[in-house]
Amino acid sequence: MSAQAAEPAPERFDFEAIGTRWQIETPAGAPLSPTVRDEVLARIDRFDEAYSRFRPDSLVARLAGGAGTVSFPDDAPPLFELYDRLVAATHGAVDPLVGAELELLGYDASYSLAPASAERRAAADARGRAHWTGDVVRKGGTVTTERPVVIDVGAAGKGYLVDLVTELLAGHGVDEVVVDGSGDIRHRGATPIRIGLEHPLQPGKAIGVATLQNASLCASASNRRVWGDGLHHILDARTGSPAREVIATWVIAADTALADGLATALFFTGAHELAKTFHFSYVRMYADGRAERSRDFPGELFT
Amino acid sequence: MNLRQKQITLAAMTGLSISVALAGCATDTAGSAEAETVPTSSSGSSSSSSSDSSTTDSSTTDSSSTDSSSSDSSASTYTDGTYEATGSYTSPNGQEEIDVSITLESDIITAVTVTPEATNPNSVNYQTQFADGIAAVVVGEDIDEISVSRVAGSSLTSGGFNEAVEAIKAEAS
Repeated sequence: MSAQAAEPAPERFDFEAIGTRWQIETPAGAPLSPTVRDEVLARIDRFDEAYSRFRPDSLVARLAGGAGTVSFPDDAPPLFELYDRLVAATHGAVDPLVGAELELLGYDASYSLAPASAERRAAADARGRAHWTGDVVRKGGTVTTERPVVIDVGAAGKGYLVDLVTELLAGHGVDEVVVDGSGDIRHRGATPIRIGLEHPLQPGKAIGVATLQNASLCASASNRRVWGDGLHHILDARTGSPAREVIATWVIAADTALADGLATALFFTGAHELAKTFHFSYVRMYADGRAERSRDFPGELFT
Repeated sequence: MNLRQKQITLAAMTGLSISVALAGCATDTAGSAEAETVPTSSSGSSSSSSSDSSTTDSSTTDSSSTDSSSSDSSASTYTDGTYEATGSYTSPNGQEEIDVSITLESDIITAVTVTPEATNPNSVNYQTQFADGIAAVVVGEDIDEISVSRVAGSSLTSGGFNEAVEAIKAEAS
């Protein structure tokens, strides 16, 4: 409010990648060098090449083509291990093989955005749903499957990529920074930042404010990536149906991959349940307009 | 989540609507105690305003009509009194318990207490953090007026996705 007019504006690097907008903010007078910017973009592209189900040349696309073995890059094991834990903690509601269900609903590489025909749906039902804990064998970053599977790292992948970018920047001595992958935010530095919790139903409004320092905040909501009546991108992998009761979540955790994964998990699983496995604070908003928060969530809700 | 939970939605004096998962009068340990505790709104006057407060904000919840009768004068759905339940769950540190106590007067919750019973320090930590998660109706405030440097919501969509949605809208109209 009382921002001095003389306060210099921070440096910002804006770009679009992996289907959304990114912003990296550094203190005034300390912009990212062109070399570092190029490295960031290259790092993100390398991640996309491996894990995007929207690219026909990705490693993920290879597993979608049929049975086989694919070796993912060195960054894969931590991501897959996080998924192992998320699958267990949510009793299968979060599952990286939910990609097949997303495609059946129309959220596919060509953005057909139309639910599959009755024949295709029937054929998929006959095959049965593939599960991370039964239909793939993983050793480190190597995944073997006996049938085509569609890996979708949508729950935790972008958060993990925010962590990878933050690490890359740290390697260049950038330690006062905010990496914002459109809702997946990591902060490093001496000055905390205030982040508005966007109201999922009212554009331009927020339901509260979070204060973030040397931690990650991830938001998830079902208001964008919507393409039809009740069709959106947050699916319960056990049923293949979009979440209904919870409409938005915010999670603060030590790293962005975890915060991202838990923001999705909270659509299906209670915080108390997840807290048996993970350490985090959160806000969760319901379709009836109520929001729930953990006592230790650093911030306030507008009530 | 567990067997014998009843969802009671009660309207507090402030117009907030608060929903609490109440584990019946059961003394068994079925299920976990996933209770949202609420800041008890000044219990002194809540009983006197009980009969009409539930009708004042019917707009905010739709569940109230289905599972709790509008608390007309004498006919309370639930018997007044204090209800206690113990939930247990298996944590990475072993079996842990959590106690929930709720006091009802004319279907109005006048007190909620959640008592963590965990013995392991880690579990104590988790339980106390989550024991008093609160649920309340939130209102939107203008982002321009709350002094934040950025906003967190669902990811912005790409041009490709947006074009596809527009194309579908055009086809459908």
